[in-house]
Order: sequence, then structure tokens, then C-alpha cells
Amino acid sequence: MTKASIHVWLTLGALLGACAAPREAPAPAAPAEPSAAPKEAAPAPGTKGVEVTLCDGKTTTFAAEGSSGATVAGALMSEWLRKNPNVNWEAEEHERHKLEPAADNKALIGMTNGQTYGQISAQDVALWKAETERLALSGSEVFHSADQLGSTVAVSCDMCHPHAANTHPETYPKYQVQLGRVALLRDMINWCIEHPVRGTALSADDPRMRALEAYLYAQRKGKVLEYGKR
Amino acid sequence: MSSRKKPLGFPSIETKHMQERDALFFALQNLDRRAFLKLSAAAAGVVAAKGLMPPHSFQPVTVAHAQSPAGKLESFRFAYISDSHLYDRTLNDRFINALMRAVDDVNALDPQPDFVLFGGDLAQLGQPKELELGAQILKNLKAPVRMMVGEHDWYLDMGEKWRALFGAPTYSFDHKGVHFVVLNSVVEKDFWTARKLTPMERMRTVAGLDNGVQSPFSVGDEQRAWLAQDLAKISAATPLIVFSHSPLYKLYRPWNFWTEDAEQVQALLKKFQRATVIHGHTHQLLTQRLGNIHFHGMLSTAWPWPYAPEGLPNYTIQMNRPDPFNPNDGCGNGAVFVHPDGLVDKLYNLWNRNPVTVKSTYLASSGKRDKPLAPNLPSY
Amino acid sequence: MTPSLLLSIRRGPLRSWFSGALLLSCSATLPEGARADDAHKGGAPHGAMPMADQLAMASPWLKPSVGVPPGVSPLFFQSIVPAQLPNTEAVVALGRALYFEPRLSKDGSVACATCHDTSRGFTDQRGTSEGIGDQIGKRNAPTTMNALFFQTQFWDGRAPTLEAQAKLPITNPIEMGQPDGDTAVAAIAENPEYQRAFQAAFARAPNFDDLAVAIATFERTLVFLGAPFDRFAQGDASAISDDAKAGFALFNGKARCTACHQISGSNPIGSDNRFHNIGVSARHQDFEGLVKKGLLALEKSDSREALDELALQTDLSELGRFIVTRNRSEIGAFKTQQLRNVGVTAPYMHDGSLVTLWDVMDHYNKGGEANPFLDGGIEPLDLSERELDQVVAFLFSLTDDRLAAQNRAEEARQRALAAKQRPMRDEALATRKKFLFEDRANHAREGSK
Repeated sequence: MTKASIHVWLTLGALLGACAAPREAPAPAAPAEPSAAPKEAAPAPGTKGVEVTLCDGKTTTFAAEGSSGATVAGALMSEWLRKNPNVNWEAEEHERHKLEPAADNKALIGMTNGQTYGQISAQDVALWKAETERLALSGSEVFHSADQLGSTVAVSCDMCHPHAANTHPETYPKYQVQLGRVALLRDMINWCIEHPVRGTALSADDPRMRALEAYLYAQRKGKVLEYGKR
Repeated sequence: MSSRKKPLGFPSIETKHMQERDALFFALQNLDRRAFLKLSAAAAGVVAAKGLMPPHSFQPVTVAHAQSPAGKLESFRFAYISDSHLYDRTLNDRFINALMRAVDDVNALDPQPDFVLFGGDLAQLGQPKELELGAQILKNLKAPVRMMVGEHDWYLDMGEKWRALFGAPTYSFDHKGVHFVVLNSVVEKDFWTARKLTPMERMRTVAGLDNGVQSPFSVGDEQRAWLAQDLAKISAATPLIVFSHSPLYKLYRPWNFWTEDAEQVQALLKKFQRATVIHGHTHQLLTQRLGNIHFHGMLSTAWPWPYAPEGLPNYTIQMNRPDPFNPNDGCGNGAVFVHPDGLVDKLYNLWNRNPVTVKSTYLASSGKRDKPLAPNLPSY
Repeated sequence: MTPSLLLSIRRGPLRSWFSGALLLSCSATLPEGARADDAHKGGAPHGAMPMADQLAMASPWLKPSVGVPPGVSPLFFQSIVPAQLPNTEAVVALGRALYFEPRLSKDGSVACATCHDTSRGFTDQRGTSEGIGDQIGKRNAPTTMNALFFQTQFWDGRAPTLEAQAKLPITNPIEMGQPDGDTAVAAIAENPEYQRAFQAAFARAPNFDDLAVAIATFERTLVFLGAPFDRFAQGDASAISDDAKAGFALFNGKARCTACHQISGSNPIGSDNRFHNIGVSARHQDFEGLVKKGLLALEKSDSREALDELALQTDLSELGRFIVTRNRSEIGAFKTQQLRNVGVTAPYMHDGSLVTLWDVMDHYNKGGEANPFLDGGIEPLDLSERELDQVVAFLFSLTDDRLAAQNRAEEARQRALAAKQRPMRDEALATRKKFLFEDRANHAREGSK
């Protein structure tokens, strides 16, 4: 597993682990030696250590005293991967739900003007696009999933907002009388989660909220900002 | 009011209320039936002249039966309830309550409609419990029910439960000189076998309006062949009304507001002097005319869809953008008035809004007459 | 009437309301003859506190004040008060005198303050109000406290301003019963005090329009927004109980009150100024039969006067806003009332049919009353008993501090009553085990409805 893919899996784990509260990362995303360890044997009796649980509340591993953080993280990820073989989520989500592409910054490639920080390469451009779209794509996943939204009535956002139609993120902030204050996009998202979706409101830095906002902004690409519009 | 005193001079607005109320109540009690009908017909006529249709729940007794040149047709009305998307009772209460509200609305119609069309998507995930629940609720309708299937009913078990409950999804019948055809217009090319999807995965794919994995809706070769021979039996002068879940024209592919073989189906309808399509699936006020065919969408009881970003027919005067703070806004049921000439007025009974009627003369005049009211909150 | 005479009228139990600044702050005097109601022992006609007593008790609140009331945002105030109206002390003082003037009524027994009694929450704390000849009307009297903040007046919004509202009860046959406004003016126009007051206020002789302006301008000084809740909102965490705080959270969340009863800095009274059918009108009569007959005879013209020609059935009062707008969507819809001082303005709803705030909460908790025009924003809430108590505690925290003692007494009274009876309660509906329209849909076949 490469550094990047661990990052992906950790992010994915955070998203799909149904963790509602903001939390620190399950383990430092330190570069790991490729963890080829198969399912670990039960610790020898008498081994001192601690049981470490991933934020999904289900995946656990035993960390013997003195083992490095990277080993623990790797073990947890292996275990999690075993249970969740759905590695191909991006391609599948792309196929299911069209996502507006992020801005294409190709025009910036190769122009240096003798400035090192301004030096843009093709890899940079590709990386920006991939990562940006990945967050928006995970937002699409949450958007279309009543379970991930925490709905108690099996309602997901796409039931009223296919492709995030009629969400108008470009019109926020706007004064929403019923909320008694000027609402940001996330306030309206939370209102929808509490009422039509009948779930629990997300905190502002909940990965799902960040992903949802990213998806909504993505789908309204090109619209004029007009805060306060009704 | 405990006493009715004669006013002394210039009465206040409340006084005038009470006076007029008393006067009419007294007058109404003394009207004979003919005068009563005249009163209501006149009132309805005045309102109709202003371009407003009287609310359908309180439509006076049918005005005299007009005769068509053929001497066979009479006007009549049928109601519709559509797109209820039921979940099990323990899971979601809103959708069930909304369907019950629609049943109550239709049962309150006086006089009762000739029949009630159910426009498809009775269940949300095609599960037997959902379909049975829907069937049980619809049994409370006083008028006879004609069922039509939607994709949410079909793709869990490919129609097995639907057939058991409601019979064949494709059929035709005649009523008061009008030929009715009911299609299963949500046929999709197999996308699930190659992907090894389970039935529920297949159902969930189809259940997502914006899910691009599914195929476009179609009527399909088999049904078109059946349709051709069914229509061959009737003359071109016979009014024709087609019930379809998908719109039978191409509006917006990403949301399956679409029928892949629409042109071929329309070709089969082309010869008819009066052909109307009543369709579900779109959960909004939708109007279209293509050649001789008039198309009208039905409201959903469960939730409204936004208008498609492109492909909206020019004929469609949008309904007001629904307000999320009212869970019923943009939803409802409705009715179709069939005129003696075979053309229809389409009434949208939007909950908590004034009803909207799209008259046959609007489409017949290519949108020049009787235009419905423009929204003050269009989609954007 | 001189201040010293006012002092002598005060009865024992009323002393508790008296504040020292009372006498010296009165700059307008009641004209002669206004003490006629003293002849009614034990109270004024129709159950009101005698006018003089009301004045004595409420005078601290009725200081002539002009301009933006304290605590109200000037921007917001300017948006609701007509800019061109005179707003001088003289106008306010005249309006105050007129508010308590029963001679404006046909038999001299009813003033504004009869049904908008300053000792009874500026309403009459009755189901529906009583006017001349002891005639009982169909509607509950809204409080005049904070009435200035509404966009329309009356339960159906038929009066666009306080001025328009002030005129109508004067000429209504079952309220104050005058044949026309001029007769009402004539009843006081000969009085030199009133003549002086009208001259000072408007520089002309008494007339009906100015009378209405004066009363309305006085009513615009009736700002009662100093509640414990406001102190809490400004940062005093101890101002309201924990239950009330929890109630406020529910108010903004699970209880869905803010769908219509928005309370905020720019919307201080808790009303969206819109009209909603929440089912009260449908509860105890053949509502749909009434609507059917009403709709069968439709209007022939658009004008407000054509309202008169609209033929309606008995109990047309229950059709609410529909009478004014003729919109089918507004059948049985009534204006969202304010929540300020709601603790002292029982009973509730347009017909006064809900007697305690617990009844109100039960009504909403079960999703109102199913009818074809029910507002979709009304849904079963599945609030627990404790949560209901918390919202009620919050509602009682919205009463102005000047009415604190009365508020406490009311809370105790309502609590005791609610402990004995909860007629609106329906647990099956509230917990969504039975659905709102289920009975109606299921009974159709049996033909029972």
C-alpha cells in the first residue's frame, strides 16, 4: 500500500465508518512500510499491549507494547480492507452519478516565469483535479445514501434534488426566516437533514458535511454567485 | 350570533357578512333543485369565464351532456393519484399519510369520478410489503381503480408481485366512447446481468432518478406490436387516451424523463384526431404537445421533482417552486375532464395551493388561448 | 379628572400593580363622564375591569411615548410604522383616552379596553368576546400588546393597518354597535376636553379618521418585549429555567414551531404574518359541508366590497382567510398569532377553543386536525411529555416582566387545569402509530363520513 492509498483508505474509512462526531484521525497517517502482514495471529498470552479500535467502532487490532504507530495503522487498514473489499468506489460512483468536472488548470502548465513556487507541472494539475473531484464524489455518495446521512425514514437528498438540482449553493448566505438567522449552505443542509431526512444534524467539520458542500458546489459549477437570492 | 338585529345604517363589513350569509342560507333552503343547479352552473360559468376553474372537489353536478357530431360521446371525469413511493409503515410515515390524504381527497369529490387512475410508483423499492400496503390503502377508494405500473414497482422482482396483485401491466379498455390504453413504459434494457447485481441492487439503481447506470425507459418492441394491433381496431375519430408512466417523449435523459422509442410510439398515435398521453414519473406540472398528441404529467403524493435544466417543453408553464418548509408543497393529486370532443382539461390539485387547470383549448390553440398562470417562483 | 381623584378610585388588591411614578406621568386627563362605569359594582360591563381602574393600574406602561420604542430596532420599526403619520405626544394621549372610552359604543358599555382589557393581558381571556347587549361573537380577541408588529390585523388579516382595525369594532353590531363612525364621534365631540385634545393632536375638530389614527398611534406604544427570554437572549444564562432553554431548542428544532412562529431580532413577536390551516376550524363542525356550500356560490367581482356579495353558510367565520382572499388554498386558514405574552392571553386559537398551552401543544403534537386543506407544515411531532413541558416553559418565559406576577398565576392555573384534563391529547397520532388521514381514508368505504 502506498502512502497515497493509505490516505485514501483513511479518508474513506472516516467517511464510511458512520462516525458522526468530529474526531482526530484514527492513527497518524505516517508513511508505512508496505504492510504485507496477513491476518494476525492472536497475541501470545501474557503479551502486554492495548486493543485499538478504528473509529468505525468495529475494526480492532491488538497493538503489542512497543509497536510503532505505523504498524498499528497498517494492521487496522488491512483488517478494514478485508471487510470492505469495495475498492473501486470512485469508478462506480462516477458511473452512477454524473459529477461536474473540476476546473481544468492545464493552461498553467509549464509557465515558470523564473519563480519556483509558480512552477506548475502536469502532475500538479492532475493531482489537484483528482483530489478535488474525489471529495466532491464522496459527497455524491453521501448525498445519495439515506444510511450515510443518518436518515431514520430512508430518505436521501437526491429524492428531491437529483444531481443536486434546486440546491442553489450560489445563493447563500441568505436570511432564512425560519432559521432565525442568515443561513450558510451548511445550515440549510442541516435543516434538510433534520426535517425531510429526519436524521441528526452534522457538525460543520463532519467529513460528510464537507463532502456534501463540495458536491453541491461542484454541481453548480459556472453559476453566478448571488448571495441572498430567493 | 344570538340575535339578528336589523342594521340601522351603514353596516360594517362584519355586519354585511352576517346579513348576506343569513340571506343566502335562507334563499338556498328555498331553492328548488333546478334553480340550485342554475345558481351553481352560473357561478361556475362566471368563474370559468375568468379563466379559473372551480376547485374540482366542489364541481357542481355535471352540466348537460353535450353531444359530439358522432352523437356518441359524453363528457366525464376521472381522478388520478400517482407516484406514492411507499415505504413500510414502520420506516416512513410521511409518504403513507400523503397517499391516505390523496385517497381522502378523491373520496370527497362530489360527484365521484368515473374511475381513479393510479399513475405508477406505488412502492418505493418494489417490495411485497410496500405493494400490499399500497393496494390496501387504494382499496379505500370509492370509485373503481385502474392501475399502472412504474419503475419503482417493477425492478425488484420484474413485476411478479405487481402481476399477482393487479394483473397484467399492459391493457386497454373503453369508457364512454373513449379508448384507453395502459402501458408499461418503463422497460429497460438489461444492465444488471453483466454487473451481477442482486435484485435489490438492481432496484436501488433504478430507484435513483439520477443514477446513470440504468438504461433509458422504453415501451419496447413487444408492447409496440401489441399497441399497433390494439389500435388497429379503432377508428381515427375515436378519442384516445394513453396512460404511461414515462412521458412518451424525450425531455431529459439524465433523469429518465424520457422514452427511448418515443417517436415510434408517437407514430402509432399519429393517425388519431384526438390523442392524449397522461404520464407519471415527473412529479410536476408538465405540458407538451407534439403534432396531434397532447401530453400531461401527473403530480406525486410523495415529493416534487425540480424542473429539468434543459428540454422543458415550451408549452409548460411551471408550477411555483416548492417551499421545503412545507413537506406537502408541490405534491397532490388531480383529475382529468374529458370533453365530448375527446380532448381533456387537466386539473392539478396541489396541496395548500390553488388548483391549476391546463385546458384543452390551451394546447388545441397551440398555446395562444387560456394560458395558465405564470409562477412567481420559477425554478432556477 | 385630576390625579388625586384617580388615586381615590384604586381598590385594595390593585395596589400591588401601582408604581410610584404613575400619577405624575399622566399628562392627559380623562374627560368628564368617563367614570360612568363606576356605577357597575364589582367591575365594568362584560367582565372588564373598570376603565378608570385599568388606567390607574396600567399607567406606568401607558406613558405617552413617541418614536421608536426602547428595545426595538429602528430599522425594523421604520419598516412597519407608516412614516407620514403624526406621532406626537398629544396624539398618543388622545388615543389612550379613546381606547378607554366606552361612550364610543352604542350603549356606552363597551370600549376597546373592554375586550382588550389591560388587566387581562390586553385581551379578555375569554373564548370569544362579548359586546353590546351581551352578544357573543365568533372570534377570540387578539391582544393589543405588540399588535403594531403585525403586517395585517384580525385573525383573517382583513384590516391592513391598526387604523383600519380600530374602526371596525365601533360599527360592528355585536361589538360596539354604532350605526356609523360619525355617530361614535358625535358621542364625544361635544365634550370640551375631547375638543381640546383633538385640536392639540390634529388641529381640527373630532372626526372618525383622526379618531382611528389616535387609537392606532397609542397602540403603537404598547410594546411588551421585555421578557425573561430577552434577557437570556442577551446573555443572562440565569434568566430562564433549564426547561425553558430546552424548550427553546425544541422550538427551533424538533417541535418545528419556527416554520411559522419565527422569533428573532428582526421578527420579535413570533409570527410569520401568514395564514395557515392547522385544523382548528375543522375540529367541531361539518367543515367541508360548509366549504362546499360556500364555494358553490362564487364571487362575481374582484373588489373587496364584493366580499359582501359572497354568499356563505353558517359559521362562515371558520373559513378564515378564505373570506378575504377567496383562495382555495386559504380555506380555514388563520393568521399565525404572536407568541409574546402568550402566557397571559389564554384561551388560544381563533375561536378560543384551546384553554391551556398544554392543549395547544397537544394539538400540534398530534398533527393538528386532518382536513383537506391542512397545511403541510403541520405534522405529528412525537414529542414526549417532558419535551411538551419544556416547550410550554419556554412559552411562559416570553411574557413581559411587567406582567410577571400574572404570568406566574396563569402558569399555575393552567398547569392545574392541564393536570386534570388534556382533551387534545392523542398519543397514537403523536407517535405516528396512526396516521393523520388514516381514519378518514379508511372510513370512506363504511360511508360513515
